[in-house]
Amino acid sequence: MNALANPEVGKFVNEHFSSSFQKVATFKIVGNAKQGGNVATYFCAPDGRVLHTIAGPVDAAAFLVEAKWVVETTRKAMKEAGSDGGKFKAYFRTAHAQRLRDEFGLTVDAVTFDPPEAQDEKDALTYRDPSGQPLAPRLPPPPLNGPDVSLAKKELDRRQLNAANSPGAGGVADAKGRRWVLPNQGKVHQILAGHAMVKIERVYGTVFENILGEKISTKPVEVDRPFSWVEKDGNRRVAK
Amino acid sequence: MNHFGRGLAVVVATGLCLGGLAAGEPPKVPTGKEPTCGEYGTSVHFEDSPADAARQAKKGEKLVMVLHVSGHFEDPRFT
Repeated sequence: MNALANPEVGKFVNEHFSSSFQKVATFKIVGNAKQGGNVATYFCAPDGRVLHTIAGPVDAAAFLVEAKWVVETTRKAMKEAGSDGGKFKAYFRTAHAQRLRDEFGLTVDAVTFDPPEAQDEKDALTYRDPSGQPLAPRLPPPPLNGPDVSLAKKELDRRQLNAANSPGAGGVADAKGRRWVLPNQGKVHQILAGHAMVKIERVYGTVFENILGEKISTKPVEVDRPFSWVEKDGNRRVAK
Repeated sequence: MNHFGRGLAVVVATGLCLGGLAAGEPPKVPTGKEPTCGEYGTSVHFEDSPADAARQAKKGEKLVMVLHVSGHFEDPRFT
């Protein structure tokens, strides 16, 4: 699973990306065992807007496929859109919707227009969360329309089997309530069909909490019993 | 993105550096105990922060890759 230690991955990433990492969630130490712990990889434009994501650990081959797809798609989008940022965004979101269709047989409408955003805290468009300010919002994914009707049943079954065999596969409902299988990368494409080219600070909560099921946190490592001589209730442990 | 063309220059420059090594002193062999500064045991070079990575990306006409981790970054299961 150690994709980043692979020399081929390193060569490609170092050639096309400047990289960094952040710790965004905690993990728990219970006794001597570690509970939780995960990783999400974001491929962004230099201004921090997310082009693509890999949710969870993957092997070197899968990592390279995704990294190369980002570079290729960026190249094509730049050629297609020129200096038009709106066209570039629409191109990327449509590309995510297309990958969802090609790999897992499910369709989603790419969101190619974003409504105006709030300018500041007092703006009439600002949403005020009654529970306080969350660390990062959870963005709603665009709804799944259902299967690609141009596919024969055999082909749709093959793509759904591919989904079922991919990491993080789980059930999702489409707009009509029918159930389908979608793995982590399928969920990434679904979300980015509506939210690609959004700043990383607005997307990471959705990826970490909705897809990976990890709670984002600013807390350091949680230790279940940091002091072996103190019980959980705070009383000193008595030797038996 | 002109960095694809720039890549050629990097390859040539790397070749020159390696050529210099071959002609001069032998390269230092890592002992395994030294810190792998900036790479954390991977093949990827990491900048100190996403802001630094963004600055480098802009300068080098590259994209940015940011890893978000919970747990030990050095744990190979998560990288």
